[in-house]
Amino acid sequence: MRFRAKIVDLACLNHFSRVINTIAKLAKTCTLRLTVCKLYFILSDKVANGGVSMWCELCQGNFFDEFHMEGVAAEHNEIYLELVPENLSRALKTAQSAKAVKIKLTNKHCPCLRVAVELPSLSSSSRIVTHDIPVGVIPRRLWNDFREPSVPDFDVSIYLPVLKTMKSVVERMKNLSNSIVIEANLRGEMNLKIETDLVSVTTHFKDLGNPPWASEDGCQSSAQGRDLERVAEARIDIKKLQQLLAGQQVNPTKALCNIVSKRIVHFILLHEDVSLQYFIPALA
Amino acid sequence: MKCIITGGNVKVLGRAVHSLSRIGDELYLEPTESGLSLRAVNSSRSAFASFLFAPLFFQLYETGGAQPDRELLRCKVLMKSFLGVFRSLPSLEKTVGRCLILLKPRASRLVVQLHCKYGVTKTHNLTFQECERLQAIFDTQCCASSLCAPARVLAEAVVHFPQTLAEVTLEAGPGGKISLRNYVEDEAEPSKTMVTELWLAEDEFQAVAVVPGSRITFCLKEFRGLLTFAEASNLPLTIHYDTPGRPVIFTLDDAVLEVHLVLATLSDPESDLQPPAANGVSHLPGPSDDFGDDLESYMIAMETSAYEGGSGVPPSPTFPLRTPGPAKSDPEEEEEEEEGAVPGTPPHKKFRSLFFGSVLTPGGPSLAPTQEVLAEDSDGEY
Amino acid sequence: MPFSTQPSASGEQYVLTASLDNARHLSSLLRAVHFQDHATCFATANGIRVTVEDAKCIQANAFIQAEIFQEFSVQEESVTFRINLSVLLDCLTIFGTSSLPGTSTALRMCYRGYGYPLMLFLEEGGVVTVCKINTQEPDELLDFDFCSTKVVNKIILQSEGLREAFAELDMTSEVLQITMSPDKPYFRLSTFGNAGSAHLDYPRDSDLMEAFHCNQTQTNRYKISLLKPSTKALALSCKVSIRTDAQGFLSLQYMIRNEDGQICFVEYYCCPDEDITEAEL
Repeated sequence: MRFRAKIVDLACLNHFSRVINTIAKLAKTCTLRLTVCKLYFILSDKVANGGVSMWCELCQGNFFDEFHMEGVAAEHNEIYLELVPENLSRALKTAQSAKAVKIKLTNKHCPCLRVAVELPSLSSSSRIVTHDIPVGVIPRRLWNDFREPSVPDFDVSIYLPVLKTMKSVVERMKNLSNSIVIEANLRGEMNLKIETDLVSVTTHFKDLGNPPWASEDGCQSSAQGRDLERVAEARIDIKKLQQLLAGQQVNPTKALCNIVSKRIVHFILLHEDVSLQYFIPALA
Repeated sequence: MKCIITGGNVKVLGRAVHSLSRIGDELYLEPTESGLSLRAVNSSRSAFASFLFAPLFFQLYETGGAQPDRELLRCKVLMKSFLGVFRSLPSLEKTVGRCLILLKPRASRLVVQLHCKYGVTKTHNLTFQECERLQAIFDTQCCASSLCAPARVLAEAVVHFPQTLAEVTLEAGPGGKISLRNYVEDEAEPSKTMVTELWLAEDEFQAVAVVPGSRITFCLKEFRGLLTFAEASNLPLTIHYDTPGRPVIFTLDDAVLEVHLVLATLSDPESDLQPPAANGVSHLPGPSDDFGDDLESYMIAMETSAYEGGSGVPPSPTFPLRTPGPAKSDPEEEEEEEEGAVPGTPPHKKFRSLFFGSVLTPGGPSLAPTQEVLAEDSDGEY
Repeated sequence: MPFSTQPSASGEQYVLTASLDNARHLSSLLRAVHFQDHATCFATANGIRVTVEDAKCIQANAFIQAEIFQEFSVQEESVTFRINLSVLLDCLTIFGTSSLPGTSTALRMCYRGYGYPLMLFLEEGGVVTVCKINTQEPDELLDFDFCSTKVVNKIILQSEGLREAFAELDMTSEVLQITMSPDKPYFRLSTFGNAGSAHLDYPRDSDLMEAFHCNQTQTNRYKISLLKPSTKALALSCKVSIRTDAQGFLSLQYMIRNEDGQICFVEYYCCPDEDITEAEL
């Protein structure tokens, strides 16, 4: 098992840091899956996480100038590692002006992801900082636990409003209530609602648009068959939603959510070379 | 004592107080002929800092010692209250034109007066306690290794460590490289802790004279405090160190300012058996019989008062010090003491305490100034 | 269908309706008196007064004149209700406390009367938020009976000169002592904390001093914990008027200029600390 990668381009480095920061905000520990083309950060659905799960996918080619990996075997050319993303985030935090960042899988005292940062210095040679991030190597028999979650059979899929506005609304609502109701229809309308003894607040978004998911028979599901007015709704833990909105630094070009009434809300944030999926289960 | 500070020097003083506030809860002020000395020590006595401002630093500097042989008044104040005067450094720079410090022994007041913009005057009357000289035993001459670098280089090096990190290990590595690494306790699981290491090339330093392979571990918090000061003052910082367990001494020098930060270093378990070999301790005679062999008793403090054997000789810095208890008991303060370590300060057991001496006095005049006592604390043994 | 956002037209009779094209003008003033959860709102044709009290010793009033609103109508002589101010502030700032330049949150506020909730309709960038905040029985308010004719000493200062002083008040001191005098020290703020005392002296000819009308030397003490919340108002204000009457009651009037250049006032009244005998001074 080998893994070695290098980032030289500053813009790529900063972008990669932002993705890692986002992951670090959303998960205390997560699984890093490495394949020849992609990196995945995975938080699988565990009760300890409040049933939240995350799936983040990056094309390595868009971030790394060098990327070599050899999995356990030729036919299973992948590596699964468990790590604390905060460590990676911290290692990259002081690498903002680096000449190069190398990431390497090592095994000195224990398996580590070594992040070596080459920084400019006043002297003739560069300053080198290394961070040995302990990782756990996940054996192959457990790989099945980290399958990509399938997109749920949702009732409504809708584009999200400007995330900054949504974040601010959810932040205020979080001061007032522990849970929030998300409801939306296929007319591009979405409501965020809270209700307590003291106050009820509803924020109405409209003209958001519904993404054209292709159904099995090839025609667009949003246009036909369904009642456009019918509202799908789910009540979720407001802190989990706030965490996503406050933690995300990927600046998505597209953001959408799929609602399975009373079961789950599935968020998808898309950037050209990053996709982040986040699943928040509905409260009873 | 009366002194006046003007212009940008007010901020320098403010920054010094901020730096000292990282060390201890009390600030010791000592007017001397060579300048005003501000000192602090932490509760576990493993960190000590002193800032000596030369008379030229001030617009006016009067020690108040009329006769040359008269004892100058030394005092200590609560760090929190002195820091309160200089809390906001930006506003100090923006609004304060002049600062007057006045020690009024008769009124038992330390007056700090700031003359600000728009004719506004802030007068702080701080209560103080008379006290003994606070002195750590150290001698940079006895240190086997020393390093000197622009503060900025070291400041840029420590940013790679998290703010919460307690201790850092400095090592003279192969090829003249100096490395800094976060110290990981033996008990910590290696599979849980991220290890960060940084290498600085020899030519990033202004001077390097180190024992190859030498290595010390010290607290980061107090060091960061000094770095902030040094960086703002644009001064090079010199690090003097010896074997593990011996204090590391950080110094800053300037025409009007002399700064020392002395930190205990973690003793290397393997080197514990070696006889003490450096830093002004080894040549000292052993403790008197009364103290027995128990290292713990080295720390026994003695009742002292402000009497100096009339010799005019500078006080020996190697006597145990007992600072008189607070005049009025401050329960909050005591509680803090009990809680012990401020964040970043290592638990007592791991570090040897530094030793702080003072002049001895009527209580024990038989203990001549040559009777010196070792400063090794071995709390670690129990 | 929950998507309708407009209050049902006409039919309903509101005793209070007000609209404001920038809700921040209201929220920032309310924040200046937000040191307790609950506030009493008192509306007349002249505007709304929002009052917050603590410990029967301090009262803060934010005055929002009718002119600040684009539309303002009160159907009865006066309308009074008590409301959770923290909740009201969260609602008013639902779209954030600092909107992007060029955008602002429009507000429409309606109240049908005793027992009904306060309705807020907020809109920014086409997004609408509807809030229903329950109201409560109004409290009986303290009457400080502080009238300008009984004022003994009065000083108007540029707020800048007090901001740092209040931010750095020695909170280990139980009281803030205010001395106003026709002679030296003219205007002095003193604290007596664990570590000693501190005095802040403002000369009468200071550029910070906009007006100085002191007729007699007065030294009064006020509980520092009660005055500390006024720092919020101080931070927003450009000028502050400090007045005392013969009994030592203190009035702090803060003049606050909003982004549109309109002037509003926040006033704090505070009782002198009675535990102190003259001898101690």
